[in-house]
Amino acid sequence: MRQHEIGGGARGTGGGARRVVFSPVDNRARVDTVVRRIGDAIELGLLADGEQLPGESELAAQLGVSTVTLREALMALRQQGLVTTRRGRGGGSFVSLPEVPADDRLRVRLRGWSTEELRDLGDHWAALSGAAARLAAQRTEPEDLHPLRRTAEELAHAEETATRSRLYGRFHVELAAAAQSARLTREQVALQSEVGALLCLVLGSGEYREEVADRHRSVISAVQDGAHESAGTLAERCVRESTARLVAVRLTL
Amino acid sequence: MGWSPGQVHSAAATLDTDAEAWVASQVGGALEAVFETVAATRHDTAALLAKTAAQGRRPASADLAALRPGLHQRLTRQELVSGVGFVAAPGLLTDVPAWLEWWQTGADGDVRPLLLDLDPGHSAYSDYTHWDWFALPRDTGRRAVAGPYVDYLCSDEYSLTLSAPVETEGRFAGVAAADVYLRHFEAAVLPLLRRLPRPAHLVNARGRVAASADPAHLAGSLTKGPDFGELLTEGTPAEHAGLRLVPCHRIPLVLVLA
Repeated sequence: MRQHEIGGGARGTGGGARRVVFSPVDNRARVDTVVRRIGDAIELGLLADGEQLPGESELAAQLGVSTVTLREALMALRQQGLVTTRRGRGGGSFVSLPEVPADDRLRVRLRGWSTEELRDLGDHWAALSGAAARLAAQRTEPEDLHPLRRTAEELAHAEETATRSRLYGRFHVELAAAAQSARLTREQVALQSEVGALLCLVLGSGEYREEVADRHRSVISAVQDGAHESAGTLAERCVRESTARLVAVRLTL
Repeated sequence: MGWSPGQVHSAAATLDTDAEAWVASQVGGALEAVFETVAATRHDTAALLAKTAAQGRRPASADLAALRPGLHQRLTRQELVSGVGFVAAPGLLTDVPAWLEWWQTGADGDVRPLLLDLDPGHSAYSDYTHWDWFALPRDTGRRAVAGPYVDYLCSDEYSLTLSAPVETEGRFAGVAAADVYLRHFEAAVLPLLRRLPRPAHLVNARGRVAASADPAHLAGSLTKGPDFGELLTEGTPAEHAGLRLVPCHRIPLVLVLA
């Protein structure tokens, strides 16, 4: 889990930016961030059903939030049915996957995002993947494309929605690595930890899975041909289409 | 007097050639030192696997803990190295499907283990067998230099990984390996490259720039044209379209002079 996402990285030196730095931190936003982070990890199977979470003070320290914030977040997660708390010896907070279908739970999570936030997430993602595809087209030789091909083919055949979402994310991480950029790769990994669970909502359809696999294949072809502009445009279109679908689902909620 | 411009030219050319050969051998030497740590890990691991085989049992992940003192020592002694370890071939160990006994140097110099989620049900990155640092030694039976590449599995760094196959009872058991972050490699070889009279850079067998004192060829970019793989097989210097190409002794890197 990455601590730097909490509290924002306000490095600007202007008066406005400084005021933001020293203004009281919005506790609500911190609670939401923790709820989102732990909830995503549960949806993606990174935290298993029945697994015990670290103790409150330890978990709060790891996430860089106060124990008060953490308690509020745990309360919200209990309300969503993703965490249960047992008292006494051997007690603590445990991951619990409720009986409610995963899609319904994910819709509850998506409701935590405004369409503006989703649009911004899509912009960020398109900027990363578009830049990565352009650079990869200039810096890639055929053998670098093996991982991307393998991922596109695995996605085309993946049955489980969570697997599809992980492979979708892996493709974009591998694309950033093919660009030979450690920074773009780290950014893409961090972004996938946010968007991964949500993507499950649009990748359930076999038809759309096929479309994404095709879009990935066309990115690979453009990268292979050294056609950097079209590689960038194709990568951007691929992720914009996915975020547009997420926004469409959000608007039905 | 009794000299000709031709002679002076050839004397200068000899000096240049000597300098190239010297730089190529120094670069080779820097990575040979890293390969020595890989060889030590390989030796320790092979001995450990032979011991469990002699006891008539298959190894488990806990057995690999015996490698730690050696790994920690290599990590602190070899300045160029930021990660060392043994990566088991899937199926080698009785208790886990896959395993990396891997140790890294932290930002503040501390030594810490790499803990990866290798459960395919959780992670999209659980299968490490297609990475060059694993596949090359497995497929060729020889030591290999992988990269430069973005290592998003272990370090998040732009790296070179040097590795060698480990065998037990005549079968491939995994690889011993060491990570060299590219920024450290550059710091080690840049003073050498700058001594040369022409702009110089180093490429791997696929033409990927690993370090450069030539602003026209930056690390990570591709130098296209020459067949560097073939040049490395031949092992002798060559010319290509105005470029001077000098293979580094026994190391799959080529010194390129523009």
